[in-house]
Amino acid sequence: MIPERSNRLIKKLFAPYLAYRLRKAFKVLKHNEVKVLPGHSVLLLCNHFSWWDGFFAGHLTHIYLHRDFHIMMQEDHLKKRMFFNRVGGFSINRKSKEVVESLQYTAQLLDNPNNLVAVFPQGALESNHTEEINIERGIDYIVKKIKGDCQIIYYSAFIEYFESLKPSVYFHFLDCGTNHDFDFEKAKAMINAHHKKALKEQVNAEH
Amino acid sequence: MKIWRFENDKQYDVMVRPQNNFFIRNILHYYVNWIVGRHFHEVCFEPVEVDPNKSILLIANHFSFWDSLILYIVCYKLLKKKFYVMVREDTTIQLKYLKYGGAFSVNKNSRDMLQSLDYAAELLNDPQNLVLIFPQGKLYSNFVNDIHFEKGIAKVIEKAEGKFLLLFAATFVQYLKHKKPTATVYLKVEPNAGKSFEELKNAYQKHYDNAKLQQTEIVI
Repeated sequence: MIPERSNRLIKKLFAPYLAYRLRKAFKVLKHNEVKVLPGHSVLLLCNHFSWWDGFFAGHLTHIYLHRDFHIMMQEDHLKKRMFFNRVGGFSINRKSKEVVESLQYTAQLLDNPNNLVAVFPQGALESNHTEEINIERGIDYIVKKIKGDCQIIYYSAFIEYFESLKPSVYFHFLDCGTNHDFDFEKAKAMINAHHKKALKEQVNAEH
Repeated sequence: MKIWRFENDKQYDVMVRPQNNFFIRNILHYYVNWIVGRHFHEVCFEPVEVDPNKSILLIANHFSFWDSLILYIVCYKLLKKKFYVMVREDTTIQLKYLKYGGAFSVNKNSRDMLQSLDYAAELLNDPQNLVLIFPQGKLYSNFVNDIHFEKGIAKVIEKAEGKFLLLFAATFVQYLKHKKPTATVYLKVEPNAGKSFEELKNAYQKHYDNAKLQQTEIVI
């Protein structure tokens, strides 16, 4: 397992550059508001459908959730792009025994209320049109291990074009409660119901 | 006889027709090829067999400005026909150069609509032509489940019956593991072209559902 080695300066410099790249590639990034609890760390669950997902999570953390960004990445992917290790990336290898170590490390990071960890609970790259969000059991393990206060937030992101030549991204946030009242099966059902509702809302999105 | 309509003290020709200009058409051709190649990682489509002695009526879903450009590329690379597309009147007025690329206008809210539909049927008489129509009539999300059909398409089919080949296209854009998006076009030849409106709608819906299912099942 590769722990994160983030550097405050690199993170500070990377954020505006990322904002610039996203502005160049996308027309607007729209999101709804949820109540972000003060004094809680954030476990951010995202749907994984594109190359850009990690950047979306990083950008949203910077402009909206205001925490110290960390992200769980697949080990072979992180090894190819060690730069992300310097902006909060740490590794997980689902095939090795170290997987428990990575999950414990995530829980440790979440003990600090200034931190945010973005995780893709699907564990694989899935279509943006998918109606089922498969949530791996690791999430349950992480949340149970957290000792401090942590809020769990999920979002579904969808990419749409409409009139513009550039795509727009629509984020549908959902507040899944805190680690103290977390129930894995209930959260899974809630996230899936929210995703289906978001897909329906997306069809009627204003443009 | 030319009919004119007056709106906001401006004078519009009732219908915008495609213009033939060798230079502008070529410039547009290279521009479309370049811009689609630059924006997309890949445009995927599977070859279909079409009768060279028949014109093609292409019916597609409409979710962005890109889909007519993508289908232009499909037409150029696979179908090898002259491209015509039915475009909303306000768009043709806004983007004047579209008519050189084969666009003709339609206005849903006026009586000139019949003229546009007649013109589309007329184009289908020539086996060299391809007419692209978006039956949804306006932009919808890429995530819709039910494709809305406007009634006008039935009139075109009725008028040009037997002279054309009906081709369905369903387009989806996804990013997946590449930085640039991939556009996938699912094509299908519909053999029974002289169908009623309801049957046509159901046949397209079936093709769309099938295509969407294939897109949904992608896991990498």
